[in-house]
Amino acid sequence: MQNRLALAAALALLAAGSAHALNAAEYQAGLAPAASAAEPGFAGFSAQRGEAFYRSTHGGDWSCATCHTDSPTAGGSHAVTRKAIKPLAPAANPARFTDAAKIEKWFKRNCNDVLKRACTPREEGDFIAYLLSVK
Amino acid sequence: MKKTLILLALAATTPPAVAGKHAYGPFPATYVDECASCHVAYPPQLLTAPGWQQVMAQLDKHYGSDASLDPKRRTAIADFLQQSASNRDKHAPTEASARMTRSHWFVREHGPTPPAKIAFADCAACHTAAERGDYSENSIKLPAGWRRIKEK
Repeated sequence: MQNRLALAAALALLAAGSAHALNAAEYQAGLAPAASAAEPGFAGFSAQRGEAFYRSTHGGDWSCATCHTDSPTAGGSHAVTRKAIKPLAPAANPARFTDAAKIEKWFKRNCNDVLKRACTPREEGDFIAYLLSVK
Repeated sequence: MKKTLILLALAATTPPAVAGKHAYGPFPATYVDECASCHVAYPPQLLTAPGWQQVMAQLDKHYGSDASLDPKRRTAIADFLQQSASNRDKHAPTEASARMTRSHWFVREHGPTPPAKIAFADCAACHTAAERGDYSENSIKLPAGWRRIKEK
Protein backbone atom coordinates (compact mmCIF):
# COMPACT_ATOMS: atom_id res chain seq x y z
CA MET A 1 0.00 0.00 0.00
CA GLN A 2 2.79 2.38 0.99
CA ASN A 3 4.65 1.65 -2.26
CA ARG A 4 1.59 2.41 -4.35
CA LEU A 5 1.07 5.70 -2.55
CA ALA A 6 4.67 6.63 -3.22
CA LEU A 7 4.29 5.68 -6.86
CA ALA A 8 1.07 7.66 -7.23
CA ALA A 9 2.64 10.69 -5.57
CA ALA A 10 5.71 10.50 -7.79
CA LEU A 11 3.63 10.16 -10.94
CA ALA A 12 1.40 13.06 -9.88
CA LEU A 13 4.45 15.23 -9.28
CA LEU A 14 5.85 14.35 -12.69
CA ALA A 15 2.50 15.08 -14.35
CA ALA A 16 2.15 18.41 -12.55
CA GLY A 17 5.47 19.49 -14.00
CA SER A 18 4.41 18.97 -17.63
CA ALA A 19 2.54 21.41 -19.87
CA HIS A 20 -1.24 21.88 -19.97
CA ALA A 21 -3.06 20.09 -22.83
CA LEU A 22 -2.46 21.75 -26.16
CA ASN A 23 -3.12 21.16 -29.84
CA ALA A 24 -1.03 21.45 -32.99
CA ALA A 25 -2.57 24.73 -34.23
CA GLU A 26 -2.04 26.38 -30.85
CA TYR A 27 1.58 25.23 -30.67
CA GLN A 28 2.14 26.46 -34.20
CA ALA A 29 0.65 29.87 -33.35
CA GLY A 30 3.16 30.11 -30.53
CA LEU A 31 5.99 29.77 -33.08
CA ALA A 32 4.81 32.67 -35.25
CA PRO A 33 6.42 35.58 -33.34
CA ALA A 34 9.87 33.98 -33.43
CA ALA A 35 9.47 32.99 -37.08
CA SER A 36 8.41 36.50 -37.96
CA ALA A 37 11.26 38.11 -36.02
CA ALA A 38 13.82 35.91 -37.77
CA GLU A 39 12.55 36.59 -41.26
CA PRO A 40 11.43 40.03 -42.49
CA GLY A 41 8.56 39.49 -44.92
CA PHE A 42 7.44 36.29 -43.16
CA ALA A 43 3.94 35.73 -44.57
CA GLY A 44 2.77 32.79 -42.48
CA PHE A 45 3.57 29.08 -42.34
CA SER A 46 3.29 26.97 -45.46
CA ALA A 47 2.14 23.36 -45.73
CA GLN A 48 3.88 23.13 -49.08
CA ARG A 49 7.24 24.17 -47.63
CA GLY A 50 6.52 21.83 -44.73
CA GLU A 51 5.99 18.88 -47.04
CA ALA A 52 9.25 19.53 -48.91
CA PHE A 53 11.00 19.83 -45.54
CA TYR A 54 9.44 16.56 -44.35
CA ARG A 55 10.62 14.59 -47.37
CA SER A 56 14.11 16.05 -47.75
CA THR A 57 17.15 14.28 -46.31
CA HIS A 58 18.77 17.69 -45.86
CA GLY A 59 22.09 16.36 -47.08
CA GLY A 60 22.17 13.46 -44.61
CA ASP A 61 21.04 9.84 -44.54
CA TRP A 62 17.56 10.25 -43.12
CA SER A 63 14.50 12.34 -43.78
CA CYS A 64 11.50 12.67 -41.48
CA ALA A 65 9.77 10.25 -43.84
CA THR A 66 12.47 7.60 -43.26
CA CYS A 67 10.89 6.69 -39.91
CA HIS A 68 7.52 8.43 -40.08
CA THR A 69 6.87 7.12 -43.64
CA ASP A 70 5.82 8.99 -46.77
CA SER A 71 2.32 9.28 -45.42
CA PRO A 72 2.12 10.88 -41.94
CA THR A 73 -1.32 9.41 -41.33
CA ALA A 74 0.23 5.94 -41.44
CA GLY A 75 2.15 4.28 -38.63
CA GLY A 76 5.89 4.24 -39.16
CA SER A 77 8.87 2.38 -37.75
CA HIS A 78 12.40 3.18 -36.64
CA ALA A 79 14.88 2.74 -39.49
CA VAL A 80 17.20 0.47 -37.46
CA THR A 81 15.27 -1.06 -34.58
CA ARG A 82 11.98 -1.29 -36.51
CA LYS A 83 10.12 -0.19 -33.40
CA ALA A 84 6.56 0.78 -34.32
CA ILE A 85 5.87 4.53 -34.34
CA LYS A 86 2.31 5.81 -34.10
CA PRO A 87 1.13 8.19 -36.86
CA LEU A 88 2.39 11.80 -36.76
CA ALA A 89 -0.60 13.56 -38.32
CA PRO A 90 -3.07 14.83 -35.67
CA ALA A 91 -5.94 13.68 -37.90
CA ALA A 92 -4.74 10.09 -37.46
CA ASN A 93 -3.40 10.42 -33.91
CA PRO A 94 -5.09 13.07 -31.73
CA ALA A 95 -2.49 12.66 -28.98
CA ARG A 96 0.15 14.36 -31.15
CA PHE A 97 1.18 17.92 -30.26
CA THR A 98 -0.72 17.98 -26.98
CA ASP A 99 2.29 18.18 -24.64
CA ALA A 100 4.72 21.06 -25.16
CA ALA A 101 7.59 19.36 -23.31
CA LYS A 102 7.20 16.24 -25.44
CA ILE A 103 7.04 18.29 -28.67
CA GLU A 104 10.21 20.17 -27.79
CA LYS A 105 12.02 17.00 -26.75
CA TRP A 106 11.32 15.26 -30.05
CA PHE A 107 12.07 18.32 -32.20
CA LYS A 108 15.41 18.63 -30.39
CA ARG A 109 16.34 14.98 -30.89
CA ASN A 110 15.01 14.41 -34.38
CA CYS A 111 16.17 17.72 -35.88
CA ASN A 112 19.66 16.83 -34.63
CA ASP A 113 19.32 13.39 -36.18
CA VAL A 114 18.07 14.58 -39.58
CA LEU A 115 19.50 18.09 -39.98
CA LYS A 116 22.45 17.92 -37.54
CA ARG A 117 21.15 21.16 -36.00
CA ALA A 118 18.09 22.58 -34.29
CA CYS A 119 15.05 23.31 -36.47
CA THR A 120 14.14 26.99 -36.75
CA PRO A 121 10.72 28.16 -35.53
CA ARG A 122 9.68 28.67 -39.16
CA GLU A 123 10.69 25.15 -40.10
CA GLU A 124 8.75 23.73 -37.16
CA GLY A 125 5.70 25.84 -38.06
CA ASP A 126 5.83 24.73 -41.71
CA PHE A 127 6.23 21.12 -40.60
CA ILE A 128 3.12 21.39 -38.43
CA ALA A 129 1.24 23.12 -41.26
CA TYR A 130 1.97 20.12 -43.48
CA LEU A 131 0.91 17.64 -40.78
CA LEU A 132 -2.32 19.57 -40.22
CA SER A 133 -3.06 19.46 -43.96
CA VAL A 134 -2.86 15.65 -44.13
CA LYS A 135 -6.18 13.87 -43.49
CA MET B 1 12.01 15.33 -1.95
CA LYS B 2 10.67 14.86 -5.45
CA LYS B 3 13.78 12.92 -6.44
CA THR B 4 13.43 10.65 -3.42
CA LEU B 5 9.81 9.96 -4.27
CA ILE B 6 10.67 9.20 -7.87
CA LEU B 7 13.44 6.85 -6.74
CA LEU B 8 11.08 5.14 -4.31
CA ALA B 9 8.48 4.76 -7.04
CA LEU B 10 11.05 3.34 -9.43
CA ALA B 11 12.37 0.92 -6.84
CA ALA B 12 8.88 -0.17 -5.90
CA THR B 13 7.92 -1.16 -9.41
CA THR B 14 10.94 -3.33 -10.24
CA PRO B 15 10.71 -6.92 -9.08
CA PRO B 16 13.93 -8.94 -9.36
CA ALA B 17 14.35 -11.04 -12.52
CA VAL B 18 14.31 -14.77 -11.96
CA ALA B 19 17.49 -16.41 -13.25
CA GLY B 20 16.82 -18.83 -16.09
CA LYS B 21 13.28 -17.69 -16.79
CA HIS B 22 14.33 -15.07 -19.34
CA ALA B 23 11.47 -12.81 -18.29
CA TYR B 24 12.27 -9.22 -17.35
CA GLY B 25 10.29 -6.29 -16.02
CA PRO B 26 7.86 -4.71 -15.63
CA PHE B 27 9.93 -1.53 -15.77
CA PRO B 28 9.12 1.90 -14.34
CA ALA B 29 6.90 4.05 -16.55
CA THR B 30 9.59 6.73 -16.95
CA TYR B 31 12.08 4.13 -18.27
CA VAL B 32 9.53 2.78 -20.74
CA ASP B 33 8.42 6.28 -21.86
CA GLU B 34 11.91 7.57 -22.50
CA CYS B 35 13.90 4.46 -23.36
CA ALA B 36 11.37 2.33 -25.24
CA SER B 37 10.09 4.85 -27.77
CA CYS B 38 12.69 3.94 -30.39
CA HIS B 39 13.51 0.39 -29.34
CA VAL B 40 12.40 -2.33 -26.96
CA ALA B 41 12.94 -1.60 -23.24
CA TYR B 42 16.26 -3.37 -22.86
CA PRO B 43 16.47 -5.22 -19.54
CA PRO B 44 18.92 -3.33 -17.30
CA GLN B 45 20.12 -6.68 -15.94
CA LEU B 46 21.92 -7.42 -19.20
CA LEU B 47 24.58 -4.71 -18.90
CA THR B 48 26.88 -3.79 -16.01
CA ALA B 49 26.65 -0.53 -14.05
CA PRO B 50 29.74 1.00 -15.73
CA GLY B 51 28.20 0.05 -19.08
CA TRP B 52 24.98 1.89 -18.25
CA GLN B 53 27.01 4.83 -16.99
CA GLN B 54 28.69 5.07 -20.39
CA VAL B 55 25.36 4.91 -22.18
CA MET B 56 23.82 7.63 -20.01
CA ALA B 57 26.87 9.87 -20.43
CA GLN B 58 26.52 9.87 -24.23
CA LEU B 59 22.78 10.23 -24.79
CA ASP B 60 23.18 12.97 -27.38
CA LYS B 61 25.32 10.52 -29.38
CA HIS B 62 23.29 7.42 -28.73
CA TYR B 63 24.42 4.92 -31.39
CA GLY B 64 23.98 7.50 -34.13
CA SER B 65 20.95 9.29 -32.71
CA ASP B 66 20.19 12.10 -30.33
CA ALA B 67 18.45 10.61 -27.30
CA SER B 68 19.07 13.50 -24.93
CA LEU B 69 16.90 13.90 -21.84
CA ASP B 70 16.04 16.62 -19.35
CA PRO B 71 18.22 16.40 -16.22
CA LYS B 72 15.43 15.26 -13.89
CA ARG B 73 14.41 12.26 -15.97
CA ARG B 74 18.01 11.54 -16.86
CA THR B 75 18.95 11.25 -13.20
CA ALA B 76 15.92 9.13 -12.30
CA ILE B 77 16.62 6.70 -15.13
CA ALA B 78 20.37 6.57 -14.48
CA ASP B 79 19.67 5.72 -10.83
CA PHE B 80 17.25 2.96 -11.83
CA LEU B 81 19.79 1.50 -14.25
CA GLN B 82 22.57 1.56 -11.68
CA GLN B 83 20.38 -0.23 -9.15
CA SER B 84 19.21 -2.90 -11.60
CA ALA B 85 22.45 -3.45 -13.52
CA SER B 86 24.32 -6.74 -13.70
CA ASN B 87 27.41 -7.26 -11.57
CA ARG B 88 28.68 -10.14 -13.73
CA ASP B 89 31.68 -9.78 -16.01
CA LYS B 90 29.92 -11.55 -18.85
CA HIS B 91 27.57 -8.57 -19.18
CA ALA B 92 30.33 -5.99 -19.20
CA PRO B 93 30.83 -3.78 -22.26
CA THR B 94 33.72 -4.81 -24.48
CA GLU B 95 34.08 -1.54 -26.38
CA ALA B 96 33.76 2.20 -25.91
CA SER B 97 30.18 2.45 -27.13
CA ALA B 98 29.09 0.00 -24.38
CA ARG B 99 26.77 -1.96 -26.67
CA MET B 100 24.84 -4.64 -24.81
CA THR B 101 24.95 -6.65 -28.01
CA ARG B 102 28.75 -6.95 -27.83
CA SER B 103 29.11 -8.26 -24.30
CA HIS B 104 30.66 -11.72 -24.02
CA TRP B 105 27.33 -13.08 -22.88
CA PHE B 106 25.40 -11.63 -25.83
CA VAL B 107 27.89 -12.81 -28.43
CA ARG B 108 27.93 -16.28 -26.89
CA GLU B 109 24.12 -16.49 -27.07
CA HIS B 110 23.61 -14.89 -30.47
CA GLY B 111 26.88 -15.08 -32.37
CA PRO B 112 28.61 -11.95 -33.66
CA THR B 113 26.40 -11.39 -36.73
CA PRO B 114 22.63 -10.95 -36.92
CA PRO B 115 20.48 -12.46 -39.70
CA ALA B 116 20.35 -10.53 -42.97
CA LYS B 117 18.44 -7.21 -42.82
CA ILE B 118 17.96 -7.51 -39.05
CA ALA B 119 19.77 -5.48 -36.40
CA PHE B 120 20.60 -7.04 -33.03
CA ALA B 121 19.01 -3.91 -31.56
CA ASP B 122 15.68 -5.20 -32.91
CA CYS B 123 15.15 -7.96 -30.33
CA ALA B 124 11.52 -8.41 -31.33
CA ALA B 125 12.55 -9.58 -34.81
CA CYS B 126 13.16 -13.03 -33.28
CA HIS B 127 12.10 -12.68 -29.65
CA THR B 128 8.44 -12.27 -30.48
CA ALA B 129 7.45 -11.49 -26.87
CA ALA B 130 10.23 -8.94 -26.26
CA GLU B 131 7.72 -6.08 -25.89
CA ARG B 132 6.49 -7.89 -22.75
CA GLY B 133 10.04 -8.47 -21.52
CA ASP B 134 9.78 -12.17 -22.29
CA TYR B 135 12.80 -13.68 -24.07
CA SER B 136 12.02 -17.32 -23.30
CA GLU B 137 12.91 -19.97 -25.86
CA ASN B 138 9.36 -20.94 -26.70
CA SER B 139 8.63 -17.43 -27.99
CA ILE B 140 11.60 -17.31 -30.37
CA LYS B 141 10.98 -17.42 -34.10
CA LEU B 142 14.21 -17.54 -36.12
CA PRO B 143 14.41 -16.55 -39.80
CA ALA B 144 14.44 -19.64 -42.02
CA GLY B 145 17.88 -21.13 -42.44
CA TRP B 146 19.70 -18.83 -40.01
CA ARG B 147 22.25 -20.45 -37.78
CA ARG B 148 24.03 -18.41 -35.15
CA ILE B 149 27.80 -18.72 -35.39
CA LYS B 150 29.04 -19.90 -32.02
CA GLU B 151 32.03 -18.01 -30.66
CA LYS B 152 35.00 -20.39 -30.22
